[in-house]
Amino acid sequence: MTSGGEAILFWVLAPMAVAGSLGLVFARKAVHAALGMALTMIVLGVFYLAQGADFLGVIQIFVYTGAVMMLFLFVVMLVGVDSSDSIVETLKGQRAATVVLSLGLGVLLAGALGRVTIGDAPADKVHALNAQNGNVSGVAELIFGRYVWVFEATSALLITAALAAMVLAHRERLGSRPSQRAWSERRIRSGENLAGLPVPGVYARHNAVDTPALLPDGSPSELSVSRVLTARDQVGNATPWVEAEREIERDVSQDRDRDDAAKEDRA
Amino acid sequence: MTAALTALPTAFEAVKVDYAAVGPMLVVVAAALIGVLVEAFAPRLLRHTIQVVLTLTALVVAFVVLVLVSVDHHGVTVGGSIVIDGPALFMQGSLLIFAVLGILTMSERFGGRSADAFTPMGAATPGSPAEAAADRAGYATSEAFPLTMFAVFGMLMFVSANDLITMFVALEVLSLPLYVLTGLARRRRLLSQEASLKYFLLGAFSSAFFLFGAALLYGYAGSSDLSKIASAITTANGDLEGLLLPGVVLTLVGLLFKIGAVPFHSWTPDAYQGAPSPVTGFMAAATKLAAFGAILRLAYVGLEASRLEWRLGVAAIAVLTMVVGAVLSVTQTDIKRLLAYSSVAHAGFILVGVLAFDRTGVSGVMFYLVAYGLATIAAFAIVALVRSGGSEATHLSQWAGLGRKHPVLAGIFALLLLAFAGIPLTSGFTAKFAAFAPAIAHGGLAGVVMVVVGVLASAVTAFVYFRLIVLMYFTEPTGDDVAALTPSIASTIAITVGALGTVILGIVPGPILDLAGRVSQFIQ
Repeated sequence: MTSGGEAILFWVLAPMAVAGSLGLVFARKAVHAALGMALTMIVLGVFYLAQGADFLGVIQIFVYTGAVMMLFLFVVMLVGVDSSDSIVETLKGQRAATVVLSLGLGVLLAGALGRVTIGDAPADKVHALNAQNGNVSGVAELIFGRYVWVFEATSALLITAALAAMVLAHRERLGSRPSQRAWSERRIRSGENLAGLPVPGVYARHNAVDTPALLPDGSPSELSVSRVLTARDQVGNATPWVEAEREIERDVSQDRDRDDAAKEDRA
Repeated sequence: MTAALTALPTAFEAVKVDYAAVGPMLVVVAAALIGVLVEAFAPRLLRHTIQVVLTLTALVVAFVVLVLVSVDHHGVTVGGSIVIDGPALFMQGSLLIFAVLGILTMSERFGGRSADAFTPMGAATPGSPAEAAADRAGYATSEAFPLTMFAVFGMLMFVSANDLITMFVALEVLSLPLYVLTGLARRRRLLSQEASLKYFLLGAFSSAFFLFGAALLYGYAGSSDLSKIASAITTANGDLEGLLLPGVVLTLVGLLFKIGAVPFHSWTPDAYQGAPSPVTGFMAAATKLAAFGAILRLAYVGLEASRLEWRLGVAAIAVLTMVVGAVLSVTQTDIKRLLAYSSVAHAGFILVGVLAFDRTGVSGVMFYLVAYGLATIAAFAIVALVRSGGSEATHLSQWAGLGRKHPVLAGIFALLLLAFAGIPLTSGFTAKFAAFAPAIAHGGLAGVVMVVVGVLASAVTAFVYFRLIVLMYFTEPTGDDVAALTPSIASTIAITVGALGTVILGIVPGPILDLAGRVSQFIQ
């Protein structure tokens, strides 16, 4: 069986991997889900390293966690979420059925696979191969030797993916882009927000894009906050800053009253 | 210095590639790559013509290479990834024919500037001014042709994959372009995009199942080569025995999804309905053939020795598939969904042949796939012609009285329906016979039960098809202005070949049955 150190490594990290993947499934925000997945990927990479698959472990962390997941995070943050996902169940009882069926599948698989014991032989084979050829050259020989056809065929997959992204997402501009003048004319003609949209709130102790400005009657102006923030439910509340401002005003007026009183005393 | 040199691995030896054996695949993938370059550099107005000529030429060249050169190069090649044997060659040849017919139907323009089935701009919001502007500006999604070629490449690889890794990559290479093509319909685009997303999500799930199963089988046998898995099964494996059955079940789930077997069929009606009709026809014919090719190879080469453990389970799936496909096709009101459920039922019929575990079963299945594919491509090409108000008239009530207005078209469609129903003198009858006879001869009691259920299910589906024929010929047309467009020469060829194939395989099936019988031996 595994040595003591590897066993500790496994029992410490495996729950983290499971927690990360559960986070991926259950997180409500895409960024949290992506971070959960990144955690799982890193832990898997460490496992590969511990099992003697150096190249695979490093690539797992570099490429999956470092490149793919970070790219995904950037996309999530750049694209923004305009509308929240609908979480209405269209099929009644679907969720309950899903839970029951997936638990059933899990139990079946665990029952079948839990009985299997894998001895030290495969691990010894990996270590022997690593000692003989080196891990990287060993993997290279497989990729460019025995599995070269599969490796080349994967390029068809990548080209398809690139082509698919172009077909489904690339929108070529038809006609010319409206100039600043055209935008301005359109705004004047529509007669709405002639001076542009209001800027976010600026208060005595705080200013930020997520805090709405106040209208003359004291109600927050929805127009002053980006709609992306509204959709993500990340709009701040102006009340504490307004109250702070009132407090300052009160202090100032009290000071003034005191000063006035002092002046009167002197007089 | 010398110590470092001796520590270096022995000189790298590249695997031997039998270029003659894999020639057809190389031709197809080369055409796909050139097609991508055409999209990048050719002037917009010429792209459609260039793509159609390029893809058709490449497919014909690939077929010629297959028939003249590859047939003499049987064997395992590229280090064991690809095996070219009788069934692989037969199915690759059929796939190339299906691809030619599919491309012909996809290229239909009805006098317009671009392919009629595909949206002018996939990224434009459905129904938006941008979409209309793109159409006016002569935009077209001619990327559909290279995408189809990539799918064909994946299918050619799928039926000749000799290890589970190659099989998985081939599965992805064939699926990914189909997910995209499904979402590119010109009309009813929201439906099309929804279908594409469903197909993609469920397909990704099934791929994950396949991968999980492949990993378990690798753990069991210590290799992903089908022959090594086979020998690991025959030599008892002690501790690892528990990995075999879960591995088999999960890989089969992944493959049964692709053929649309119940309970993994739920994507079929939606994807078939949403996809552009020519794509549906190609997908139904070619994907089914490729997936059955992979199932045959996996079952007959890799897992045959363990078949007693899982045969009854798959038999149950076959029975369920036939019953559910037949019964649900009765309730359909949309012609494309009806054909989709009929394809589910056909998947069940073909599975009956697969479970015979005999050479005659292989040849019967291959014959069935060819017969079904030819009829399906032609049927969906006809569905694409029947229009009402500019879009396809897919509701069954709109097909009422079509036989009076368009006797030839409706006649051909009726012939294809008779073939689906398995009426004698059409290919469907011969095919059902070829698939069911081995099941009775070699399948034991389960085989007999499956055939009985299959015959009953055929009777149910026959009712559906006859009802449709009655609707076309003996019902008054509704008020809708339903009319069939006049097909161009390309669609006409595809429909004619499909219909002729259906008749010829029904009346003189001998040569093709003989051929399928002669080439039905897998290389172990």
